[in-house]
Amino acid sequence: MTRGRVLPLDLDELAACVSCGLCLAHCPTYRATGEETRSPRGRIAAMRAVEAGAEAGPSFLDILGTCVVCRACETACPSSVPFGHLMEASRQAVADRAVPWWQRLAYRTLEHPRLLAALTAAGAVAQRAHLVPGSLRRRLSLPELPLRRARLAATGGDVWLLTGCVMDAWQRPVHADTVAVLAAMGVGVALPGPGAACCGALHSHAGLHGRAATLARRVMAALPGPAPVLVDSAGCGAALKEYGHLLGTAEGAAFSARVFDIQEWIAARADLLPAPMPSHRRLRIAVQDPCHLRHVQKAESHVRTVLRPYGELVELTDEGRCCGAGGAFSALQPELARTIRSEKTAVIDAAGADVVASPNPGCAMWLAAAGVEVRHPMEIVAAAAGLAAPR
Amino acid sequence: MTALEDFAAQVGPVGAGPVTCVGGRTQWELGGGLTGAPREVMAPAGVVGHQPGEMIVRVRAATTLAALDEATAAGGQIVALEADQPERATVGGVLACGRSGLRRLGRGPVRDALLEATWVNADGEVVRAGAPLVKNVTGFDLCRLMVGSIGTLGFLAEVVLRCHPRPEREEWWRSEPDSDADAFALYRALYRPLAVLWDGRSVWVGLTGYGADVDAQVRGVLEPAGRWSQVEGPPSPVGELRRSVPAAELRATLDAVSASCPGSSWLAEIGVGVLHCSAEAARVVPAPPPGAGVVELHRRIKERFDPEGRLNPGRSPLTHPQVMAAASRGASA
Amino acid sequence: MTTDGDLVAQLRAALSPERVRTDPMELGLYARDASMLVGRASVVCFPESTEEVAAAVAACARAGRPFVARGSGTGLAGGATPVGDEPPVVIVTTKMNRILDVDADSRVAWVQPGVLNLDLSRAVAHFGLHFAPDPSSQQSCSVGGNVANNSGGPHCLLYGVTNAHILAVEVVLPDGQVVVLGGLDPEPDGLDLRGAFVGSEGTMGIATRIAVRLTPLPPTVATLLADFPTMADAARAVTAVIAAGVVPAALEMMDATIVEVVEAFVHAGFPTDAAAVLLVEVDGLSGGLAVVTDVVTSVLARHGARAVRVAADAAERAAWWKGRKSAFGAVARIAPNYYLHDCVVPRTHLVEVLEQVSRICAEQDLTLGNVFHAGDGNLHPLIVFDARVPGVLERVHAAGAAIVEACVAAGGSLSGEHGIGLEKRDAMPLVFGPADLRAQAHLRDAFDPAGLCNPAKVLPRGGTRCADVADLPEGVWI
Repeated sequence: MTRGRVLPLDLDELAACVSCGLCLAHCPTYRATGEETRSPRGRIAAMRAVEAGAEAGPSFLDILGTCVVCRACETACPSSVPFGHLMEASRQAVADRAVPWWQRLAYRTLEHPRLLAALTAAGAVAQRAHLVPGSLRRRLSLPELPLRRARLAATGGDVWLLTGCVMDAWQRPVHADTVAVLAAMGVGVALPGPGAACCGALHSHAGLHGRAATLARRVMAALPGPAPVLVDSAGCGAALKEYGHLLGTAEGAAFSARVFDIQEWIAARADLLPAPMPSHRRLRIAVQDPCHLRHVQKAESHVRTVLRPYGELVELTDEGRCCGAGGAFSALQPELARTIRSEKTAVIDAAGADVVASPNPGCAMWLAAAGVEVRHPMEIVAAAAGLAAPR
Repeated sequence: MTALEDFAAQVGPVGAGPVTCVGGRTQWELGGGLTGAPREVMAPAGVVGHQPGEMIVRVRAATTLAALDEATAAGGQIVALEADQPERATVGGVLACGRSGLRRLGRGPVRDALLEATWVNADGEVVRAGAPLVKNVTGFDLCRLMVGSIGTLGFLAEVVLRCHPRPEREEWWRSEPDSDADAFALYRALYRPLAVLWDGRSVWVGLTGYGADVDAQVRGVLEPAGRWSQVEGPPSPVGELRRSVPAAELRATLDAVSASCPGSSWLAEIGVGVLHCSAEAARVVPAPPPGAGVVELHRRIKERFDPEGRLNPGRSPLTHPQVMAAASRGASA
Repeated sequence: MTTDGDLVAQLRAALSPERVRTDPMELGLYARDASMLVGRASVVCFPESTEEVAAAVAACARAGRPFVARGSGTGLAGGATPVGDEPPVVIVTTKMNRILDVDADSRVAWVQPGVLNLDLSRAVAHFGLHFAPDPSSQQSCSVGGNVANNSGGPHCLLYGVTNAHILAVEVVLPDGQVVVLGGLDPEPDGLDLRGAFVGSEGTMGIATRIAVRLTPLPPTVATLLADFPTMADAARAVTAVIAAGVVPAALEMMDATIVEVVEAFVHAGFPTDAAAVLLVEVDGLSGGLAVVTDVVTSVLARHGARAVRVAADAAERAAWWKGRKSAFGAVARIAPNYYLHDCVVPRTHLVEVLEQVSRICAEQDLTLGNVFHAGDGNLHPLIVFDARVPGVLERVHAAGAAIVEACVAAGGSLSGEHGIGLEKRDAMPLVFGPADLRAQAHLRDAFDPAGLCNPAKVLPRGGTRCADVADLPEGVWI
């Protein structure tokens, strides 16, 4: 591998784009704007320009910063250009200038479960007292925060369940439902300690490579042994599956091989899934494919396998296009993210489903903020099988 | 001297005076009357070669449609050119006039048949555009420009036309007069019909293709929609004029014609929009004049292709009465 | 002469400041299309309406500044590469991407030029209709670009190229005037200016609204995949299918090099040990379809096909087509650059020309892939290389020139569907004489007397009366 002069990326990977443009229609920001600077082809051309001597100035930062890193272009690319790697490496080169202190602070918060819990409680109170300023509310599109967290307890040692940061703070009922569904399948779940509180995905996307690597090592240490590591957040699962690439070590690759999206792991054992209750009403379920499940983990079919016994599945007609959440993207590029979301909600509306199943908390919150009825697949299964934890 | 060179010499260089090209005179009035008594010339005739494997036929412009059909039939193919009098109408004339026949719905318009055109320009030079290939985008598409140009930009000398396999079957069916058959509904229900024609009382449907498919369409679409009898072919268009109507406006136009000219006979090409009718009925059909920008483009093109105005003087592909009137005012001014 | 600053100010006033860009890095992204020809843009602007396009064009006309229209930038002949006496203004139509009106009964739709080809077909599919031209880039290319290039695609074998599917075009002429060419009626008065405009490669104005003809989806379809032990056998089979009196909807060939890379992408079960693969699609009503499928199958078998498979279902058919249509983009699996030709040869000369092309590339020590519309003789020899290797470009050019000459010598033509653009411009005298080129220049000159609209494209220098086109800028290679 030959590394770039300016950008720490593989020059052969950078050369692998033939500029054919077949990625364009699959890129959410290109679809929203029609501009090359908002397209995978244009971003790669800009990286090449910088490698050839162009200034990595504000416009380059803008070109990098307006990418959701959904990686739909990778699935669309006939030459399989590893765009995600190119983008993360390019962001790494400019992270000093591109990621301001407040953003770094926010990412650091994610690493500290107690701090996050405290902020969540404070935020929940503030929301109920209508104390959150409108501008912040619009920028963050926060869901209604829980005042108290549900209880979550280990049930055995067959598998690990990654609890994560925001999800554990705000969506613990999903974890509880996951544990309940696995229990019904006869699978005991172990929960990691605070070391696994943050997978480092957002750090990685922002180009904060060093911090992401530190967090990866911490997560690996918190999830030892041979047991499979199950993840019920598609974005975190994708990050864990890329530890091998991130760290460049055999240990990282071996860990990544143990990681499964929760639906992916269950789908291989679908015969163990609990039966729906006789009283269960079969819903029309539209499956929303999180980008990092579809384009990075390539595991979107398993969601369907898991949900099929519990409802009538409705396919969205946009080939799994991004919803605009993109980890921190919806907060950093709110206008672009909203344009992308409005296309997504139009497609969802046209599908006429009772509920949208989203296996990624970021997507779920972002869509819910636009008024979409969203549930995690595990919530749907648990509810149908009568296992749902009290809310 | 080759036939083409001979033809070019007849047309002569700039300064050789006004000249007109004569075909079968079947659409001689199109584009207005000639002025200034131009010299008459005639393009060479004869089929140069039919290549079924390439699906093309090379033919000189004064070849009659009948002769063309005979040549391509031997190779099991057809060319999508039609005329009322195939024994007289010439390939060059049909292309220069650009009016398609009653089978346009199935076979496509005349303009799509032309792959390569060779013509003699106003300088008496032989000019070629396109290629003897079924697919080609090399250079600007002068072939499309020549179709319907009524010999005002150059005189077609030799052309290469696209051929199609001669269909296994061509059948024509006519609905019983004043039956329920709805021509517009039939157009939508049939798959790739050759033609759907309506005269206000009867519907004619042309079907073509494999026998099994034709039979299936007769049974599955025609028979449930009325009483039908098989006929020799399409009716002869009635009335001396033809009007060009957007497909979406055809039904409303026909209603207007029937209301204001009861008893006037007409024939409409459903799905296409050509209406054959009397002069009286034609007056009811809206025909907005082309915009000033389009008229100006015509002027500039003619000026560049024939600066002296020696090819078919007095004629214009713009036949709208308002444009012709303005042109004759301009000419007399 | 107007300075850049004045022109930019006028454009900003005509559009909006936010949609007129001069940032050097952004300009760089608009310096090329999907070809390797690189030009230079002075301004990039994004109009959102006919009025804004007209205003932008008028501003350029007043300033005497060349301008170039651009859609998705998927063209392969440098048609959207900005070159001119001065760096042109690039007018991008991608923000004009609305389907304005669909009349399913009359099978007509009005669309803006930035609508993507496949988006249009998807949007009308529930009426049982589609837009028939289907270039391999159809997921990304725009209808405006299809009009400019008179685009083809596999299914044009039966359905005809773009020209046959365009009823009318609203055009901003190079002086800023707006006209409608053609019409929704079948025989619009006057010359077929619509037909002349389609395929004019952006040199006669900018399409701002397009009326397209929609075609019914075929009631039944059969897709066949045949594999052959040699390219020559496959080529002879193509000629034999046509000679049998059958016109399939599509008849495509891929050689072993291409099959290998597309199979790595789509995993569609292409036979990677075959020397050549034919993809044949027939459609229509069920009776004829059965007859044609039998005829094609037996012709293919008689000409040496080792196996003929029929797609089991829509998913398999889609996978095969995805493979075929991804071929160009997939070759970076071999090397990062490609140079793609687009010659057409008479079908009956396919065998000999394919052999010549293969010899030419072997002589220059270049990797060759073949993936093309065999049914209409539209070759796509694809030279795959790494431009970073010293001396390779010279060999690529030498091979390219020899391929073009071989095709022309066989009675062929320079381009079947990609257009002439910048790439094949100087080869035009190989197929046209001075009087032929003069006639083409007359037509362009009538539309664009000032010579500002996508200058330096299609017609070679010298052979035109209208304009001495600019020298190619440094860095452009043809």
